[in-house]
Amino acid sequence: MVSTLVEGLKERVLTSISMYQSVCVVLPGTNYQDLIQALFNCMREKHTDQWVYITVTRPFDNFVKMFGDLSRYPNVVFIDCISRSSGIMKRDDQCIYIESPTMLERITMEIKHIFRNASEDMEKFIVLDSLTSLMIYNDPTLVIEFFYQLLNRARSEDIHMLSLVVEEGELDRHINKLIYLNDKIIKVRDTFI
Amino acid sequence: MTFGVCETGIEELDAQMGGGFPVGSTILIVGSSGSGKTTLCMQFLVNGAKKGEKGVFFTITEPLFKLTSNLEKFEFFDRSLVDDGTITIIDLRIIFERLGLDAEKYTVEDTNALLGVIKDIAKELNVKRLVIDSITALCYRLQSKEMIRDFIFKLGTFLAAKECTTFLTSEIPPKTFIFSQYGIEEFIADGIIFLGEVERGGDLIRTLQIVKMRGVDHSRIKYAMSITSRGIELAPLLKTR
Amino acid sequence: MYEWIERDEVDFISTGIDKLDSLLEGGIPKGFFTLILGVPGSGFEILIKQIASNGNTLLFSTCETEEEIMSTMKRFGWNPENLEIVDIASEYAKRTLLVHGKRSSSYQRRIDLDLKELIAECSGGKPIERGEEEDFLNMLSKRFTDSRIPEKTIVHSLDFFLDQYQQSEIIKTLHIMKMSNMKKKGAVFVSLTKGVCGELFERKMESIADCVLELEVIRKGTSFDRYLAVKKMKNYARKIGIARYIIDESGFVLETVERIL
Ligand SMILES: Nc1ncnc2c1ncn2[C@@H]1O[C@H](COP(=O)(O)OP(=O)(O)OP(=O)(O)O)[C@@H](O)[C@H]1O
Ligand SMILES: [Mg+2]
Repeated sequence: MVSTLVEGLKERVLTSISMYQSVCVVLPGTNYQDLIQALFNCMREKHTDQWVYITVTRPFDNFVKMFGDLSRYPNVVFIDCISRSSGIMKRDDQCIYIESPTMLERITMEIKHIFRNASEDMEKFIVLDSLTSLMIYNDPTLVIEFFYQLLNRARSEDIHMLSLVVEEGELDRHINKLIYLNDKIIKVRDTFI
Repeated sequence: MTFGVCETGIEELDAQMGGGFPVGSTILIVGSSGSGKTTLCMQFLVNGAKKGEKGVFFTITEPLFKLTSNLEKFEFFDRSLVDDGTITIIDLRIIFERLGLDAEKYTVEDTNALLGVIKDIAKELNVKRLVIDSITALCYRLQSKEMIRDFIFKLGTFLAAKECTTFLTSEIPPKTFIFSQYGIEEFIADGIIFLGEVERGGDLIRTLQIVKMRGVDHSRIKYAMSITSRGIELAPLLKTR
Repeated sequence: MYEWIERDEVDFISTGIDKLDSLLEGGIPKGFFTLILGVPGSGFEILIKQIASNGNTLLFSTCETEEEIMSTMKRFGWNPENLEIVDIASEYAKRTLLVHGKRSSSYQRRIDLDLKELIAECSGGKPIERGEEEDFLNMLSKRFTDSRIPEKTIVHSLDFFLDQYQQSEIIKTLHIMKMSNMKKKGAVFVSLTKGVCGELFERKMESIADCVLELEVIRKGTSFDRYLAVKKMKNYARKIGIARYIIDESGFVLETVERIL
């Protein structure tokens, strides 16, 4: 069963991410599941490209179940920042566990490592899930600095970046500042489509 | 006196140094226990070895078998580099024993004999990279600051002339910002790399900082450092308040 | 148990010297502990080697190195096929040299170092042993309790141990060897130079031993007569006897045999 909402989201994301270097998707929690499905569909469609999915929101294990046949898409690599600190990690070639969501530099190192091993002709994508969660674990100024660095790296190395902000109504003051650093902002509402 | 650079293979570090450490320099690797001194030194040796530069590692604090079994866990390590003699790992304690240096305190004559043997080995193996892990354990046996100074100075000059780049590890107590136990090693070294840690949200983050490097224009920015099976990796440390 | 059955088929173990075997009427009874006493000049070290060169033998050698032993054996034309030598002499020399070396200066020691050998040693990857050096006396008893023993075990000579250890410790070890040998049905020979450690110890040894062979040299005018006496043979009083011997290029040659009883 293909949901029109998921299908629509996928199309929106795919077009904007190929047009812009950095895209931010702001969505309410109720649509989180749909967006993830849409993103997974993007990955399936562009499976010859290199994808890095940074999760600070849900454990990798959760995504494996949602994805279903992840092992058929070896170019999708997860960086899981929360499982290790809660002790629920499961060894997997497609997942790198980081000690804690406070170790932001480790994320940078891992991204660098993954893309270094990616072949030239692959397009590179980073999904950051999510800025909201990063703010929970870290000092806002730290997240801002990290995000700046990541954006700069994305620009200089021609990496497409998609960041998620899961929030209802009023946006956090810091996040509000952050999202405008992106080239494109997509706001998902219940009325969307 | 020295020209080329000696790459460590750790990207950010080399970049900071304009490609690597000045060939022939003596660098003090400072850190508390478990801070990654041994790993950094090994990575430095292995990187050289992969380019055909011979290296020697003198260990005092860790026995050989433990050292090599730790090394095997790193992807950068290649057993054949040891087997074919590109890297030689030497247990200094056996040398102490063979020189009859079983006392805790060495005389000037003992110190000179030891220095002589280390120099002989460096010459015999024709190494371009040398590590003593740790210089603190060695200095502990020397009776005075003059002897320590003399030892490191003479070793440094000899190796510089041979264009051999040297890493000496210096152990310090945790959570301190000093560079050496005896307060003298740091003045003789050409460079100091400090391995420390910062706290962030209750987690400790390893850091690396180039504190001093003679003749090189480097910044003193701190790096976040990680030790994984890939060895040591760096990324600029995000400012923490 | 296995060894009992296997070895019970024959009662004696050959000394390797025919005439001596016949003097002993077949050889050394299995499980026997034999003491070989000799005065200097009696050639008892040759007798030891002749016994060692025959059959399945383990020889603990304290006064001659393996090399010296093998070269002597070669000179006599003996070809030991199943001889294992525990070369305590070499090991001891190495240790004393080391201790002695400690007295020389670190400067001298550095000069004496063989660099290539040193590098090989220091990079050997072996954990260095700072522990106790193996105790020689312990080595004897360990060999006896740990594993199967060969047909013949020879300790040549006790003199060395007397220099290093307390008599009581030595006797304790010899007891262990004796008991274990009795069970395992081998033949143990230990040698002792007569007169070096006092009569009391010799007496004690003679009482521990199941068999005592003594080599004597008696001066007769300008020549020497050599005698081999079977001084004690537990449970075989008949075998007590004495024989004159000479040593020629083939080793021990026993001449006249006299029975005492
Ligand atoms: N394969 C590995 N993966 C992840 N971490 C590792 C690995 N190997 C070592 N480490 C980490 O590196 C640390 C040890 O580093 P290293 O031995 O280089 O420290 P050191 O400064 O030499 O310590 P010491 O003063 O005790 O000799 C350990 O605490 C361990 O946490
Ligand atoms: Mg160490």
